[in-house]
Amino acid sequence: MRKALVVLSVVMFLVSLNFGATKITVWAMGEEAKSLDQLVKLFMEEYPEYEVDIQAIPWANAYDKILTGIAGRQVPDIAQMGTTWMSPFGSMGAFEDLAPYIERSEVVKPENFFKGALETGIVDGKQLGIPWYVDTRAMYYRTDLLAQVGYDHAPQNWDELYDAVKKLVENGSRYGITLYQPQDNYQVLLPFVWQNGGDILDSAGNVIVDQPEFVEAFGYYTRFFTEGLTPIAGGGNLFQDFASGDTPIFFSGPWMVSMIRAQIPQIAGNWDVALMPEKKSRTSFMGGSDLVIFRDSKNKEAAWKFIEFLSRPDIQVKWYQIVNALPSVPKAWEDPLLQSDPMIATFGEQLNDAKAPINIPEFQEISVSIDSRVQEAIYGRKTPEQAAKDLKKDIEKILK
Amino acid sequence: MKTPLRSIIGFIGPSIILLLIFMLIPIVVSLVISFTDFDVYAIYDWGRASFIGFENYVNLMQEPLFWRALLNTLYALVVAMPLTVVLALSFAALINREATYFKNFFKVSFYLPSITNTVAIAIVWAWMLNPDYGLINWFLGLFGIQGPNWLGDPLWAMPSVIMLVVWKAVGYNVILFTAGLQNIPDYLYEAAELDGASKFQQFLHVTIPSLRPTIFFVTVMTVIGYLQLFEEPYMLTAGGPLNSTLSIVLYLYRQGFRFFKLGYASSIAFMLFLMIFALTYIQMSARRSEV
Repeated sequence: MRKALVVLSVVMFLVSLNFGATKITVWAMGEEAKSLDQLVKLFMEEYPEYEVDIQAIPWANAYDKILTGIAGRQVPDIAQMGTTWMSPFGSMGAFEDLAPYIERSEVVKPENFFKGALETGIVDGKQLGIPWYVDTRAMYYRTDLLAQVGYDHAPQNWDELYDAVKKLVENGSRYGITLYQPQDNYQVLLPFVWQNGGDILDSAGNVIVDQPEFVEAFGYYTRFFTEGLTPIAGGGNLFQDFASGDTPIFFSGPWMVSMIRAQIPQIAGNWDVALMPEKKSRTSFMGGSDLVIFRDSKNKEAAWKFIEFLSRPDIQVKWYQIVNALPSVPKAWEDPLLQSDPMIATFGEQLNDAKAPINIPEFQEISVSIDSRVQEAIYGRKTPEQAAKDLKKDIEKILK
Repeated sequence: MKTPLRSIIGFIGPSIILLLIFMLIPIVVSLVISFTDFDVYAIYDWGRASFIGFENYVNLMQEPLFWRALLNTLYALVVAMPLTVVLALSFAALINREATYFKNFFKVSFYLPSITNTVAIAIVWAWMLNPDYGLINWFLGLFGIQGPNWLGDPLWAMPSVIMLVVWKAVGYNVILFTAGLQNIPDYLYEAAELDGASKFQQFLHVTIPSLRPTIFFVTVMTVIGYLQLFEEPYMLTAGGPLNSTLSIVLYLYRQGFRFFKLGYASSIAFMLFLMIFALTYIQMSARRSEV
C-alpha cells in the first residue's frame, strides 16, 4: 500500500511537471528534423510555458505517414509540408485556415515573405501554410568550358543557351545540358513556359496549354532532346558528368552548391551559378517547405507561436546557418552571412522571380499527364503542337 | 474424444481475429469502396463519398491506360514466367549434381538477389543499364555491339525490367526446386539407368514427372507474383518511357496513392484480384484433370 502511494506521488509529480508546459508536437523530415532541436532550445528559453516535441519522419515514408495520419486522425499540431504536397493534403481539409492568425500577428505578415513562397501555402484560396524555407532553381555552368566556345558569361537568354549548348557539344562535351527528370519533367518544363509568359491555367481557370506561349516553350524544351543535346532518360552521375564536362550546364537548387564543393573539388573556380535564361522573364521553379497547423490540433495557439518564432528573420538566418536552408523572408537575406557567398546570393536574387505551380488537388494527376505528353514529344512521337493539344484534352478531362 | 469448444477457440481464435482484421475486413471494405467515388475530399470527411454503382468499373473498361497496363503486365508475365521456371530448374539441377564444384558459392549467388532490397537493386541496375556509362553496354561494346538505351527506349524498357525481375525471382525458386529434387528417390534413377536411359532421358522421364507438384507450386506463385509487378518498374522507369512499363499495380498505385481516387483504385484492385483468382483456378483445374 505504501509502495503504491510512493509510485502514485512520483507519477503525480511528473504529471504536474508536464502540466506547466503546453506540449506541441511537430512532424519534420530529413535534415530538418535532426537539427530542429537547436531552434527548439531557443524557443523554449524564450517561451518557458511551451514544450516542443520533434518527431522525425524519413522523407521516404513521410507522404504515407501524413496520409495515414490524416485518415486516422492521428496528427501532430504542426507539420513540415513539402510545397508540392500542400494541395493534395490541403484540399482534404485537414489543415487549419491561417488567415485569422495572420491578421493579428506582428511577425507573420504577407508582405514579409517572398510572394512566390507565400503562394505555395495557398490552397483553394485559403492560406493553409506558412513558408518556412524556400528553394529555387538556378543555372549551374562550367565557366572554363563555356569560355572555350566564346562565352565569358553565363548564357543570358534562350537563344544564347541553345547556341552555347550546341557549341559545347561540338567542342567535345557528350551532352551540352541535363534537363531530364525521371518523374518530374514538369518541374523542368514549367519554368520555360513561365519565362515565355505561358501557364497551365489562366486566372479564369481555362486550360491554356495550347496557346502559343506554352507551345513555343514546349518546342524549345523538346529540341534539346530530339537533337541529342541532352540525355533522354538515364544520364550518368550528375557530379561526375559536371566534373568531366559531359554535361556542363544544368538547373538545380541551392543544396548543390555545397555538394559540388564537397564532392568534386577538382573543378573549384571553374564553375558558377547564374540566373535562369531570359525570354520574357527569368522565372524559376519555387519549392521548399511550408509549415501547417492541423485542424485536429488541440494546441493551435501554441503551435502558432512556434510558427511565428520560426518566421522571425533572425531565427531564419540561424536556420540557414544550421542546415543551409534558404530563408523565406527577404529581410533575412540582408544578413551578411547570406550576402557574403555570391553563389547563394544568386539564389536570393532568383527568388524574386520564382513561381510555384497552381495548388489544386488535381495537380498530381496533371503532372503525370504533362510527363507522358512531354515524353511523346521528346521521343519524337508527336510534334510539340500535337502533344500540347492532347495535353489540353487530358487536363480538361481531369478538371471536369 | 471430443475437443471442448473453448480450447478450439483458444487455439485458432487469435489467428482468426488477426486474419479478420488484416485480411478479410480490408478486402470487404475495398470492395465496398470500389462502388463509391471515394476521393481526396472523402479521406478527411467520409460523408463526401457516395455510391455510384458500377461507374468505376465502366470507366476502367473505357480507360486506354488500363488496357495498356494490362497488356504490359501480361507481356511481362508471358516472357518472365517460363524464363524463371526454366532457369530456376536448370540452376537447381546444377546445384543438385554431385559433380558440381563450389556448390555453396552458387547457392549463395543465386539466392542473394531474392533477399536484397529491391530499391538497392534498382539503383545498381539503373547504373548497369545506363546507355553511356553502363557495364552492360560497355561489355557489348567489347564485341562491337552498340547497346540500346535500355531504360530510355520504349522497346527495350520492358525487357530490361523483365531481366531484373527474373534475376531476382530465380533464387527463391531454385531453393524450392532443389528441395523437390532431393526428394526424388535414387532408385528411380537406378532403374532408369538399368533400362538404358541417357542422362537427358532420365531428366525428361524421371525428374520432370517427379517434380510436378513443385513445378505446379512454382508456376502458380510466379504467376501471382508477376501479375503484381510493381517495385521494379516503379523504381527503374516510373512506368515510362511512353507508358511502356506501366504495370497494373503501378497504375493502381498512381490512382490510389498519388491521385487519391481510392474508389477507382479499389475497382482496379478487384479486377486484379479476379484475374489472379481466374488464372490460379485454371491452373488448379488443369492439374486436377492431370492427376
